[in-house]
Amino acid sequence: MDFLGEGLRRALALLLAGDAEVTGVVVLTLKVAVTATVIACAIGLPLGFLLATRPFWGRRAAFTLVNTALAFPTVVTGLLLFGLLSRRGPLGGLGWLYTWQAIAVGDVCIALPIAAALSAAAVQGVDPRVRRTAQTLGASAWRTAWAVAREARFALAAVITAAFGHVIAEIGSAMIVGGNIRGSTRTLTTAIALYTGQGEFGLALALGVILLVLALLVNIALQVLQGKAHA
Amino acid sequence: MLELVGVRHRYGGRVVLDLERFEVPPGALIAMVGPNGSGKSTLLRLLALLEQPSEGEVRLDGRPVSGGPARARPDAAARRRVTLVEQRPILLRGTVRDNLGYGLRVRGMRRTEVNSVIANVAARLGVTPLLERHRHELSEGEVQRVAVARALAVEPAVLLLDEPVSSADRAAAQTLYGALAQERRRRPLAICLASHQLEDAYRWADDVRALAEGKLSPVTPENLFRVELPNAGTGDLKHIRVGTIEIAAMTDRAGPAILAVAPSDIFVSRAPLTSSARNVFAGRVTRLSHQRPGTVHVTADVGVELVAVVTEEAARDLQLAPGGPVVFAFKASAVRVF
Repeated sequence: MDFLGEGLRRALALLLAGDAEVTGVVVLTLKVAVTATVIACAIGLPLGFLLATRPFWGRRAAFTLVNTALAFPTVVTGLLLFGLLSRRGPLGGLGWLYTWQAIAVGDVCIALPIAAALSAAAVQGVDPRVRRTAQTLGASAWRTAWAVAREARFALAAVITAAFGHVIAEIGSAMIVGGNIRGSTRTLTTAIALYTGQGEFGLALALGVILLVLALLVNIALQVLQGKAHA
Repeated sequence: MLELVGVRHRYGGRVVLDLERFEVPPGALIAMVGPNGSGKSTLLRLLALLEQPSEGEVRLDGRPVSGGPARARPDAAARRRVTLVEQRPILLRGTVRDNLGYGLRVRGMRRTEVNSVIANVAARLGVTPLLERHRHELSEGEVQRVAVARALAVEPAVLLLDEPVSSADRAAAQTLYGALAQERRRRPLAICLASHQLEDAYRWADDVRALAEGKLSPVTPENLFRVELPNAGTGDLKHIRVGTIEIAAMTDRAGPAILAVAPSDIFVSRAPLTSSARNVFAGRVTRLSHQRPGTVHVTADVGVELVAVVTEEAARDLQLAPGGPVVFAFKASAVRVF
């Protein structure tokens, strides 16, 4: 128990001191998570809407694929991405391996199925009369989609929260394609893994607390937005 | 003109609608009647271009707009000419005012014009006091009235109404039908409404069509029976059990079918007459109703409930009255099987 208590004391001290390295890790983590969430949701939400509303050949297979991707191990995602981005890989020319962009791409691959599958479920949960009503009143496909999205706004906000929660807590892919380079690609999760391995339990715990606080703040922000939308 | 041509529509492999042709001419006032599950709502959704027919096509002014060999997908421009009010309509998020303006805003109408149309249509449908309310603050009947107002606001060429007064009291129904009549006087508007209330259909529509098991009845909507046709018969003459009576009909078909007898094909008398009619049933009058000027619909229990139509003069001469004796007679060839 002394071990844990000591760790928490160290964590508090680091947080209060405003350590430059910790600040850098937090900023990078947020940059990667926000970028990946925005890109994944920008693609995944419309994809989920299409899956839920448009009958097309292979729709069932597409659903199965997206749902399977939900359970895809993140280290395997990182491994495949490593192969693509490595110097001899097809995307090696981009020079993104061991950069924050590589971590963001990995996070997009992880968050995209979450955004697509959960938004499809959210849209399917909307009363079908909403869509028919918008259509019969002359709404275009986009206006109809917007009317449905407004009805599913709480569920869709939960989708964005889930996607963000996954990417900010992701470690497997970030470790492989980011390399955990100090001052360059070290994120909160990879730093926690490193410091725990080095026996720097207090530092690791401090970063863990920061990770939890960040997740909490993002959830609170989304709930406030939902509340305003409901008013 | 809006029309369905050669439509066979399926849900999960089961044919729910089978119509060779169904037309809604400009300015028509059509009532579709039929029991629950007869295909009325499906028909309206196909006409509203909200579903594509599994087979056949929907045409608007002769142009295929949904289905057909090219599997045409209806676009917003075609949908803007036809508007459906569902049996249990839903209001979109926002106030009643937001809802009434929705169809106008998607057409790019300016805010001042939108407000003017909303005020006008709300007054006609008696929903002005509801304008600032949200959907959870309205009763089912109020939602139905707001939905009709919302549909009228966009001035469609064809208005489709699915059981428009199912949640309305008599006064609200009068207001609704009054507003529809006023709209039809103001501009050309075709209305096709689905109802399971035959009296309402006769009262408000120029053209009453019956749907049974997804098919249009070749005769009027009364006296429709779902039957099992026997294989055996004398030639094509078959005796088909309907309730406690057996109806003689000319048909070479066997198996499940709909049997229809037009009320105008039934002879009404107080005592059995010697005639060629194979179907003669004695019973008692249960109801007399005046659904069209000069005619009387005579409903009688003759083992099953049958409806005949006679002139007012004939009803007087026969001294028809509820509870009184009556004999219905019709020829086997007057029985339609489909």
